[in-house]
Amino acid sequence: MKRKIAAVLITVSFIAFLLIGLSDFPPYGTADSAVYNEVTARYLEKSIEETGAVNAVAGMILDYRAFDTFIEASVIFTALVLVLMMLQKNDKANGGDGNDHAHH
Amino acid sequence: MTTPIIRRIVGWLLPFLWIFSFYIMLFGHLSPGGGFSGGSVLGACLILDRHVNGANAFGARFTGERLLKLSLAALLLYGILKGQSFLAGVLHMNGLPIPLGTPGNILSSGLILPLNVLVGIVVAVAFYLIATLFEEGHL
Repeated sequence: MKRKIAAVLITVSFIAFLLIGLSDFPPYGTADSAVYNEVTARYLEKSIEETGAVNAVAGMILDYRAFDTFIEASVIFTALVLVLMMLQKNDKANGGDGNDHAHH
Repeated sequence: MTTPIIRRIVGWLLPFLWIFSFYIMLFGHLSPGGGFSGGSVLGACLILDRHVNGANAFGARFTGERLLKLSLAALLLYGILKGQSFLAGVLHMNGLPIPLGTPGNILSSGLILPLNVLVGIVVAVAFYLIATLFEEGHL
């Protein structure tokens, strides 16, 4: 029960954190916001000089936005762990109480 | 359902696919491709190998637990490598001095090449383990 309450609290605070970040965004479709002008121009003009990558996409996802890619890879890893937890047949990976280990 | 046809064709195809997957990962900063796409092809190689060669496959040399640990290690290494440069930037310090090199060379663009390989490992292990689990019911 304690763990469930902790999980709900962590989730709610994370959602609040994301929503607070979202409230700083410019309104959707604003033509003069920096994202649509300065960021694009900076990436296209300076990515080779600043990241050293000829492929501008690689420069963006692994240098300017490397943390985004880090979390993407973490999502894949978490999905893998969850699939193994839910679907594996043997008891070892299901977090059993340890008594089943003798059978394997 | 492995027929002799599949066995023969996969035998011809696999060496090229292995090389192609590493090419996609190692040249991610020079040409289209990168960690996610290279890792997908690498995972496909591991799956085909396992499907055709069974217990003699390359992936069968490792237990699922080992591959999970490898994947986790790749993820942690990514976090450390990139976390230090982000933290150093926030704290106005100098991170690890990683030269950017000449744009266009393979050994250039600082951390992008190793990070591509690390992402590729995570993706390949995920594809391979899930496919193995679905086909054989256990790892």
